[in-house]
Amino acid sequence: MQALSGRAAVTGVGMTALTRASGRTELDLATEACRAALADAGVAAPDAVLSYHLGDSVPATQVARALRLERLGWHNDITGGGTQAASILGDAAMLIAAGVARTVLVYRALNGRSGTRMNRASTGPQERFTIPYGMAGPIPLFALAAQRYLHDTGLTEDHLHAVVAASRDRAAANPRALRRAPLPREEYRAAPYVSTPLRNVDCCQETDGACALVVQDARLAPAAPRIHTVVRGGGPGCSAMDRAADVTAIFSAHLDLWGESGLGPEDVDVALLYDAYTWLVPRQLSDFGLVKREDLGDSLLNRSHVPVNPHGGLLSEGYVHGLNNTAEAVRQLRGDGVNQVPGARVALVTGFGGSYGSAALLVRP
Amino acid sequence: MARPLPLPSPLTAPYWDACRRGELALQRCGGCRGFVHFPEAECPFCGDSNLAYEVVQGKGAVHTFTVVHRAFVPGLAPPYTVAWIDLDAGARVFGGVLGETRIGGRVDVTFRDVEGFGPMPYWRPDE
Ligand SMILES: [Zn+2]
Repeated sequence: MQALSGRAAVTGVGMTALTRASGRTELDLATEACRAALADAGVAAPDAVLSYHLGDSVPATQVARALRLERLGWHNDITGGGTQAASILGDAAMLIAAGVARTVLVYRALNGRSGTRMNRASTGPQERFTIPYGMAGPIPLFALAAQRYLHDTGLTEDHLHAVVAASRDRAAANPRALRRAPLPREEYRAAPYVSTPLRNVDCCQETDGACALVVQDARLAPAAPRIHTVVRGGGPGCSAMDRAADVTAIFSAHLDLWGESGLGPEDVDVALLYDAYTWLVPRQLSDFGLVKREDLGDSLLNRSHVPVNPHGGLLSEGYVHGLNNTAEAVRQLRGDGVNQVPGARVALVTGFGGSYGSAALLVRP
Repeated sequence: MARPLPLPSPLTAPYWDACRRGELALQRCGGCRGFVHFPEAECPFCGDSNLAYEVVQGKGAVHTFTVVHRAFVPGLAPPYTVAWIDLDAGARVFGGVLGETRIGGRVDVTFRDVEGFGPMPYWRPDE
């Protein structure tokens, strides 16, 4: 067990509307989401503020000023995108467990569709070799991994379709979701490729919006979902294809979530998996032991695995760099989620950054 | 907008110079004898900084590939294919593939003259 285990609880969730053209500044979006989360938690002022971004957002000090926090304690802007979606809970819980803060406000705000788009984000210094061949941004990189993943596992486009079709079906009940219409197989097959084997519908929804959470000393909120375990790490895989034995390995291949937590995959009631691309869902289901690799195909087609992203996830609700999935994990444990999983007590939430990333277990006390 | 071209640096110039001679040359570590591509100042496997370029054969098999249908780079007309190739010589290299391919497909290097730059390595099916 980690020393932070059970010491911090998520007591508030706030989100703006998710759109493709907010017409608002990131500061405006962040402030609205933060106010909503603070109101949800019944907190007047946090004593610490954390955010993560890729130079596409607004720093914590500006948000603190907009919230009229007279005195600001610990605050940090962490560099990173989706890789931080779960571990930001760990950063907050560490502040609380260490006695540095009692109430931590966490947010992610971006104009991810109308402003700085991820589809042109740099993937690293290897681009000086790949760009002259016409390869830039994350999609072709993760398409190269996906192609090999389908080859190695025997999964097909029908399984990728099953992932996104399930996501759309769940999002139909989510008024926040950007995509809510069903996606029949014929329509999936007719959708244009971005980079084979990934079609546009295999990729998440670039989104304008903000999401915020309030994390507090668990003694202040004994009934709120607790941060049980948070792991962060990485290793060889799709982020270094020149030298990785398995170019399809993503962050989840490198995390010892169960060893750190004392829990097991059978304890998970609902999984909020970072689904920036369809193929990441089966990859994480087997990496975290939720489905045996040989059973992946059937479990996707039959939807017989543990509930995944009941609100539609990044593929359908929207893409606030994963923090919207973290918010749904909290709602599911409070009992006010979309397509609420009855009696959900343990939620897994993950964050993806190639072969680096994070995972957290939240537990209802 | 024009297609982005390679910008050789002191580290990478020997790679591009070899292309002008119609040869594929990769760094090879004097310590662990591993091939290093893309070029590095230090060996990523053992840390040795003795990384001389060595000419290698361009034959190999496709490790993975993607056909780009929507380019995020100007000046290239999709669809086109990029791939990681496991060379028989023992290195994994990146490049474009001319023609249809598949994982495991045999390929051999060829050099294609790119306007404004010169020869760049591409691979073509060799089965
Ligand atoms: Zn070496």
